[in-house]
Amino acid sequence: MSDVEMKKGAEEKNKQRSDFLTGNDAAALAIRDVNYDVMGYYPITPSTELPEALSMMQANGDHEISMVPGDGEHGAAGICYGASLGGGRVINATSANGLLYSIEQLPVQSGTRSPMVLNLVARTVSGPLNIRCDHSDLYFTLNTGWLILLARDPQAVYDLNIAAVKISEHPDVRLPIIVCFDGFFTSHQKRLIHVFENGDTIKTFVGKPNTPITALDPKNPATFGAYMNDPDMINNKKQHSLAMEAARRVIPEVLHELEELTGRSYPILDAYHMEDAEYAVILLNSAAETAKEVADQLREKGQKVGVLSPNVIRPFPADEFRKALKNVKAIVVGDRGDSYGADGGNMSLEIRAALQRDPDNKTVVLSRIYGLGGRDFYDDDAEAFFELAQNSSNAIAFDYYGTYKGEPDRNPPKGMPPIKAEEVTRSMAKVTKNAETGKLDVELEPLWAMSDVKSRIAPGHGACPGCGIFPMLHQMYRVLEGDLVILFHTGCGMVVTTGYPKTAHRITYIHNLFQNGAATLSGLVEMYYERVRRGELPESSDITFLMFSGDGGMDIGMGPAIGAANRNHRMIIIEYDNQGYMNTGSQLSYSTPMGHRTTTSEVGSVGSGKNFHHKDTAQIFSACHLPYVFTASEGFPEDLMRKVAKAQWYAKREGLVYGKIMSFCPLNWGVRDDAGQPVMQAAIDCCFFPLYEVEKGHTTISYDPDILGTRIPAINWFKQMGKTKHLAKPKNADIIKSFETEVDRRWKRLKAMHEHEEL
Amino acid sequence: MNEKVTLPNSKKFFGIRFESIGGLGAHAAGKILATTAVLRMGLNGAHFSSYGSEKKGSVVRSFIRLAPAEKLIRSSAPIESPDVIVVFHSALLKNPATIAGMKAGGVLIYNGSESDEIPEIFSQLPSTTKIIRVDAQRIAVEEKSRPNAVLLGTLTATVPFIDFSILLESFSEEFSQRHPEAVASNEKAFRRGAKEIDRLSNIGKGTDDLPIMRADPVWGYENAPIGGVLPLPGNTVHNDLTVSRMGWLPLFHKDKCIHCGMCDMVCPDFCLVWKAADNNEVHLQGVDYRYCKGCLRCVETCPTGALTREIETPGMADKHRVKLFPELEGGA
Ligand SMILES: Cc1ncc(C[n+]2csc(CCOP(=O)(O)OP(=O)(O)O)c2C)c(N)n1
Ligand code: SF4
Ligand code: SF4
Ligand code: SF4
Ligand SMILES: [Mg+2]
Repeated sequence: MSDVEMKKGAEEKNKQRSDFLTGNDAAALAIRDVNYDVMGYYPITPSTELPEALSMMQANGDHEISMVPGDGEHGAAGICYGASLGGGRVINATSANGLLYSIEQLPVQSGTRSPMVLNLVARTVSGPLNIRCDHSDLYFTLNTGWLILLARDPQAVYDLNIAAVKISEHPDVRLPIIVCFDGFFTSHQKRLIHVFENGDTIKTFVGKPNTPITALDPKNPATFGAYMNDPDMINNKKQHSLAMEAARRVIPEVLHELEELTGRSYPILDAYHMEDAEYAVILLNSAAETAKEVADQLREKGQKVGVLSPNVIRPFPADEFRKALKNVKAIVVGDRGDSYGADGGNMSLEIRAALQRDPDNKTVVLSRIYGLGGRDFYDDDAEAFFELAQNSSNAIAFDYYGTYKGEPDRNPPKGMPPIKAEEVTRSMAKVTKNAETGKLDVELEPLWAMSDVKSRIAPGHGACPGCGIFPMLHQMYRVLEGDLVILFHTGCGMVVTTGYPKTAHRITYIHNLFQNGAATLSGLVEMYYERVRRGELPESSDITFLMFSGDGGMDIGMGPAIGAANRNHRMIIIEYDNQGYMNTGSQLSYSTPMGHRTTTSEVGSVGSGKNFHHKDTAQIFSACHLPYVFTASEGFPEDLMRKVAKAQWYAKREGLVYGKIMSFCPLNWGVRDDAGQPVMQAAIDCCFFPLYEVEKGHTTISYDPDILGTRIPAINWFKQMGKTKHLAKPKNADIIKSFETEVDRRWKRLKAMHEHEEL
Repeated sequence: MNEKVTLPNSKKFFGIRFESIGGLGAHAAGKILATTAVLRMGLNGAHFSSYGSEKKGSVVRSFIRLAPAEKLIRSSAPIESPDVIVVFHSALLKNPATIAGMKAGGVLIYNGSESDEIPEIFSQLPSTTKIIRVDAQRIAVEEKSRPNAVLLGTLTATVPFIDFSILLESFSEEFSQRHPEAVASNEKAFRRGAKEIDRLSNIGKGTDDLPIMRADPVWGYENAPIGGVLPLPGNTVHNDLTVSRMGWLPLFHKDKCIHCGMCDMVCPDFCLVWKAADNNEVHLQGVDYRYCKGCLRCVETCPTGALTREIETPGMADKHRVKLFPELEGGA
């Protein structure tokens, strides 16, 4: 082949096509074509679409990345760490509190010099909970020892995901790397971008990973993570710092190499109209692009303005900033995140520090915190920043931009009057202890009699039509007596009831993130009893404490919940089980049944839904030897209410109660809004969701489809739901068999326990 | 296929905004339209939707920003002054924000029926706005499709550069992969959307572009309780969820009711109204449609047929509504 022919061949091979993709889609495509070995992940908006897109591709046989759903982000980061010690390529994606929940692992990953790529889809850190974009999560990563690239638009997300692999694995660097892009603004916005037609182009570009020492090489044993004392630590960290310095050289090299392939360049510091700029605005990611648009308009009017926005912030391009700002009179640095009390956002502080090393520099630096919690950045906001830069002499150095003071007599709609304990203590379920059995008996009033008990939750919440969480709450509140204090884990129930400045809860309500609710509530319970003991609160107040979690919250929040159970606090934990992470758009939870389709267990030519069995949370808590554990369904109100009444009795007198309650989700089960009763009935009749209670260690089945003659094969349940329709196909017969075998095994075990007093 | 089309103004962005309710398919429709414009009509474009933590039934906005191929799209902010607004649910027209920023000479398409009154806020529109009515809900029901199919069809008939056959083709392709069974019915709905339209005239009284609206939050940093605490128990009662209903509601027939209370156990929105009766019982009075999302779980559960599933016609909910909290609205 001649040189010309070879070049043509390469061009043909490296051809690009146009596509219209969101930032998340673009990242997923690059990830697919890098062909990572392992992805450890945990869903969190707005990064969730990334594993979702990869799950869809996987279901259609488009890649073979091993995708491991973590039990939480801390677990996901651990999965990634372990996988990276094995020498292959590792990818993860997260946002906000997901990042923070895993952050403890980040210095472990970097400190042991284990390369991997993390897509950080920037989102506001709680609390209060907010799902939209700012950079408060990104700023937490600045001291983790990771490299950080910033991707301003979907094209950059694609390109930098490719470059990241090579930078991270470079032998002089060997550090994990973050590619950060803006949640929603970039992650969910479709743009015209160019991608390689053939994934091999990327594979060739990144080459084979080269890890000299791995944990999968028994012939060359090595110790990873030795305990290191003071004389060594500082030297280890010096190495780390040198690697960061090496990255200053390696990053432009790799980006240049990529440019040769793509035709797209990424300078370390993106400078727009800066050649002769006298005033500049400095922003990260998507907002910088808006500022460029405005800079064009102002340039037309003759104003000498420009925009700076770094593509890399670790290592921080101090030199580049110094050079770019040499002759600039004033700048406004916009930070989408505050470093509270530091007199400026992180970028403004680092830029100030960079300029301080240039004795001749006279640039006025103004710091503005803007766009928190996803507040949009419009053209006129950029204009305001340019104006501020041009009138810097009277401006204060640090301020918030875009806040609102409030009007003295402007308030949200009024709340409802508090509910008196008497109004909700109406003996709708009378609980008595049976002297003979030692167990509790419950006498329930007829349903109609309950219908004028004051409700502790108001209508007007924003759940989907038909949502099962609310009938469940309603039924529980019918029989629970006296004052309640409730805590909700993050999830649908929390999100749809408390959209600020409104709340549907008429009683005291607390939210904490779903990894830690049980610990939080147990703390409050102890405070209550302690203050009663000290005489600071009246004993008569008699509060019952309840926590509500989704099934997902019992993945990520399992540890603290088991902790609370082992300590046996006087509280009730209710898990409403809708078989998935519904609030974030239906990803698999460990409680999702095998074979069921979710957005991270997709169905396609090779994928057939979730590939492991459902978690048996009730049995896990039963093994904590609690006074009372039960399962129920919002489709069986009387049974549910009897059990809840017992739960309150035990939680007040003996300790922690756990209840797992099946809850209807029409949206993500793929059924009509009014089909709750038949669908849940089928789940119970096929013995997937047995109704039973474990009272002081004794198991009693409350509803036995075998005895009642209502037992059905699982397929009769599956046929009713969109998420399981595919299981009716002959090719999925094995999945059904495996499901039924497992369900039957668990059911028989339960029956044996029901029959034997000692089990 | 990549047919070049030209936008009305080669120097400016062309903005389209969909105003909708989760479940009507505005996001999907926006995605199809924008993808077609970019990959098949030779335009540059961007598409995104407003996300809160919306569930089915809450307000969704979808934005399509188009530009000539050579013009860069940089801003990722929402479109505040659109050339075209498509309103997927006529109830949204009670809120002035729905039409905020409408450009003079632009197009406003709304899902409405001939028998409805013309929404009051239309008088604010610039007189040059082309107002197009299409009964997307009815057509969708008749064709077993969704309103988004109908409204996409309407767009091709009213916005010159959106080509009928190109959009229809990519629309059908989108479904042929995942839902081949739905292609034919969606196509029919699309075609009818392009044909069965009413052009309303002499309605807008304004002259210029409508002003944009950016609402301030209710509280600000000087008066919001610190820490985000909300000392306002149950104030969601002030919400009105009428727009969440997708065309059906439950109708109560007192004569058939045995007041068993079963419906109350399954209603997710607490909209059933009860009252103590003389005989010490508690009797069902009816439904407060202000909160009813039309899930019909109550109908499905009722053992006597005292609740029935009905197609919601204009005025029906107001006529049969029994108020849960009469004191909220002053008087019973
Ligand atoms: C640390 C952290 N990780 C992830 C999330 C995102 N997230 C919020 S709710 C949720 C799913 C909750 O699922 P589940 O507990 O089953 O409740 P559901 O939404 O089904 O009601 C997820 C993944 C988060 N808020 N915080
Ligand atoms: S997604 Fe499911 S669980 Fe969440 S609000 Fe909607 S119906 Fe309820
Ligand atoms: S379920 Fe039917 S009969 Fe029973 S109270 Fe409700 S409407 Fe009346
Ligand atoms: S349809 Fe029935 S169950 Fe559903 S919200 Fe309305 S009243 Fe409640
Ligand atoms: Mg769940």
